[in-house]
Amino acid sequence: MSGHDKARIKILLNWLAPFLGLILVIALFSLMPEVRERFLRPANFKSVATQSVIVALGALGMTFIIISGGIDLSAASNIALSSVVVAYAVNVGAPPPAALAAGILCGGLVGFVNGGLITTLRLVPFIVTLGMMGIARGVAKWMAGNQKIDAPLTWINGLMAKSPRPSWLLLAPGVWLMIVFAVLMAFVLRRTVFGRHVFAIGSNEATARLCGIRTRRAKVLIYSLSGLFCGLAGVMEYSRLTVGDPTVAVGLELDIIAAVVIGGGSLAGGEGSILGTLIGVFIMSFLRNGCTMMGWPNYIQEIIIGAIIVAAVGLDQVRHRRAA
Amino acid sequence: MTSFRRILVWGLILCSLTAAAACRKKEVGPPSSSGRTLDIAVIPKGTTHEFWKAIHSGAARAGRELGVKILWKGPQREDDRAQQITVVEDFISRGVDGIVLAPLDDRALCAPVRDAVREGIPVVIIDSGLQGSDFISFVATDNTKGGVLAARRLVEILGGSGDIFLIRYQEGSASTTEREQGFLDTMMKDYPAIRILVKDQHAGTTTESAYQLAENLLGRFPDVDGIFCPNESSTFGTLRALQESGLAGKVKFVGFDSSPKLVQGLRDGHIHGLVLQNPTRMGYLGVVLAVKHLRGETVEARIDTGVTIATGETMDTPEIKALLEPEFFQDRD
Repeated sequence: MSGHDKARIKILLNWLAPFLGLILVIALFSLMPEVRERFLRPANFKSVATQSVIVALGALGMTFIIISGGIDLSAASNIALSSVVVAYAVNVGAPPPAALAAGILCGGLVGFVNGGLITTLRLVPFIVTLGMMGIARGVAKWMAGNQKIDAPLTWINGLMAKSPRPSWLLLAPGVWLMIVFAVLMAFVLRRTVFGRHVFAIGSNEATARLCGIRTRRAKVLIYSLSGLFCGLAGVMEYSRLTVGDPTVAVGLELDIIAAVVIGGGSLAGGEGSILGTLIGVFIMSFLRNGCTMMGWPNYIQEIIIGAIIVAAVGLDQVRHRRAA
Repeated sequence: MTSFRRILVWGLILCSLTAAAACRKKEVGPPSSSGRTLDIAVIPKGTTHEFWKAIHSGAARAGRELGVKILWKGPQREDDRAQQITVVEDFISRGVDGIVLAPLDDRALCAPVRDAVREGIPVVIIDSGLQGSDFISFVATDNTKGGVLAARRLVEILGGSGDIFLIRYQEGSASTTEREQGFLDTMMKDYPAIRILVKDQHAGTTTESAYQLAENLLGRFPDVDGIFCPNESSTFGTLRALQESGLAGKVKFVGFDSSPKLVQGLRDGHIHGLVLQNPTRMGYLGVVLAVKHLRGETVEARIDTGVTIATGETMDTPEIKALLEPEFFQDRD
């Protein structure tokens, strides 16, 4: 094999590597005799897609943050807070579009505060967002009076319906939103100046600043954008639950971060892709779906997902050493 | 490329091992009597608390007796409404024959239950209520009756008069509110000689918060004669406070639910009555009703699994002992 061929295979494998995990997971459950026919049905794929929306929306923003070398531990609390805000707004009689906007903007505000504190106080993102994780969760519980908020049903609750109306939509509106935003964010990340700045900051922040990138402004923008996505994810959470639950999504930030990391994002910054992140999301959703269909206990599922995270990052390291 | 390939190979080995393990498990399943074995999914609110383990053991027993396969699966994180919805959806995808569900929320679980019914999967609701009428039966404890029973017992040991506390559990918890209401109504209506010193204080969800509340109340009213607590954590917290302040045994005390520590309290004479539910029966009946419905029999729309009171005298009778120390599901299936 010539060196040229080898290089091409390597490029192909690098590109395929994230897909490989997803294919393996789907293949695994397709081979199980108990669930084989059921697992591969379109209806099941539809429900996995719907179940993935919340984590996927959160992970789109998280991809930007992780590529820029940061982290957001407050994502899940932000989702819970936004879902409570929507329920609260619907409950006091706000029209649904206003409630929806309130939820998304609340998420954006939390992100903006995160970004502002990180840049003005020069604190590491881990600390700021760790603090915000508690603050947002606390505010959510306070707003909801330490209970869940029962709000009347509106069209917002149809956003995550498995059988959407009108039926020609095929997938829940939330799934379409996820797809549209994924394409949009992939474009922003790869083809716009802002997207390139995100990579530059994550690769080497000092150099980026010396090159004339306004790193502080860019970072505030990154965290705000991610916050908006958490807000949208919160709207979807409310849509799914039909109640505003301040205790929902505890620990979901780790799922979101895991999705980005499985998809090739590096916690050291400078690396990651939207496609990879989405694959990471779907690997975890299919695993969960398959394990439940098999009736396996939760601990098996937790062990497998843990192993996959380590394996995916290990694989990434191997590829790096090779590339170096 | 070698290490890359090695990882790939390891991954494949891992997957095939899991697959093999899963296939083998299926072969040792219960034998089917009439062609295909029925699959019944049983979905609790969580999987680690003793209450749910007792439900699991009841469901597993029904599965063995009726020759159906029980798929036991709770939300990955305890008490997570969103994840319980996901579990229901995944079992609908699998096409199970019936679902037995303990809903975490009387409203959030309505949509997935409706989806199940649309797919022709009957649903039995256990433990906590669900809005609407999409399910075939509701099997649960009559909580109001539990409160009434506690009130009668407390009055009996107080000899008809005295000052008491009602320590409530938590705002917004439906089952415990019913117990408190049943207790309060009985006291007000039937026993005018009883004076209720405290009736609007909430113990909160943890043993620690209940302990603090009880300690403060005992500090303020050291001459109280009787106390009622509506669930396990508030009962245990109050028991600890009574023991610490040296009042245990002197203050008459009736609690709810069971745990090894509470059984010990009953034996030591620190607790004078424990109202007991029957989770094993709840799990058992949930599965039985689903299977009956699938076999074309009509089933009752509401079944009360009963409440019993355990006292120091009755705690060693076989019936009460079985409720105080229910069998837990041990098989790691």
